[in-house]
Amino acid sequence: MQCGWSLLGPLQWIRYINKQVKVKTGKDEEHRGWLLTVDPVSASLVLVNFHDDAVGGGRASVQVVMGHAVQEVQVLQDADQETTERLQSSFLPPRARPLAPEQLGQRRAGVRRWLEENRVPVQEDGEELLVAGALTIMAPYGPEDCCSSNQIILDRVQRLIQSQPAALPNHGVESPNHRAEAPNHSAALPANQPIQRLIQSQTAPPADQSERSSCD
Amino acid sequence: MQITGGNKKLNMATPVSVLRLPKGPDPNSRGFDPKSPRFIALCRTSIPTSAVSEADVEQLPKEQHARSVLRESFLRCLLSVTNKKVQFHMYERVKVEATFGASDIDVMNFQVSDLHTPIGVQKEALIRCQDVISFSFDA
Repeated sequence: MQCGWSLLGPLQWIRYINKQVKVKTGKDEEHRGWLLTVDPVSASLVLVNFHDDAVGGGRASVQVVMGHAVQEVQVLQDADQETTERLQSSFLPPRARPLAPEQLGQRRAGVRRWLEENRVPVQEDGEELLVAGALTIMAPYGPEDCCSSNQIILDRVQRLIQSQPAALPNHGVESPNHRAEAPNHSAALPANQPIQRLIQSQTAPPADQSERSSCD
Repeated sequence: MQITGGNKKLNMATPVSVLRLPKGPDPNSRGFDPKSPRFIALCRTSIPTSAVSEADVEQLPKEQHARSVLRESFLRCLLSVTNKKVQFHMYERVKVEATFGASDIDVMNFQVSDLHTPIGVQKEALIRCQDVISFSFDA
């Protein structure tokens, strides 16, 4: 049963947020809480109720009421500044502490090197990295800092950055361990392996091999 | 989902084999009018976007901004629910608990794991949003 709530539109819905509302969904069913947001696609309301326990840190219980079940929405009161801030910051990801410029530069260089090792074309564009002309990576160059309109490239690059091995403390010194960690690029390891396999196969008794090859 | 009243509550931990409930008509086969009520009720894959009336041409950027702010907030909320225990309140006084998995883009279905039903625990289930009145969880 669709009442007018679902038809209001984003401009009306946004006026209800950060207010304490009472939502009626049935004859005797009511839900109360601080309205965090309204989903524009389904008109669902996200209500938050804070339970401030004496035991460290308040918890919140969240209730999502589906838009199609809403019969009536009533505003009870506005939120004060503190509650508004608490509401708006409840679901944001934790903000990482800002890095110093040299650390940012090192991280940028590290990410760029990893991408180049994986044969991904990357260019440095000031503070940002431009990947394959279609994706931009901004500080601090984590998987969430990639911007692109191409979903496939975005997914690939995000996975790549996520699988980047942890950086070693000394970047300047090219230790043999570091080379071993980047198997694509180290010249020593893969070159030896095919030669070893070749030697092994030549020393194997040829009689067995010919028998195996002849049988169908 | 019909729950017959008066039954003793079963032990919730019994796992249940996969139940395949009847699906609606296949939208690709012939014979189903896309405008028929049955098709709309069972094969809805997306909610139609709201039409903008001609009078609000200058309101359009404001509406789009409001829409994106609201949607982003909602998506972050959904992100925070994943892998949490949620209680679904559905029609016919049905209350079930499950671990939230994901929602689809139009909020038509929820994918959940370990759905506790009166006949046992469903390992994976798809809950139709039209059947849900509300769901709640602890942040």
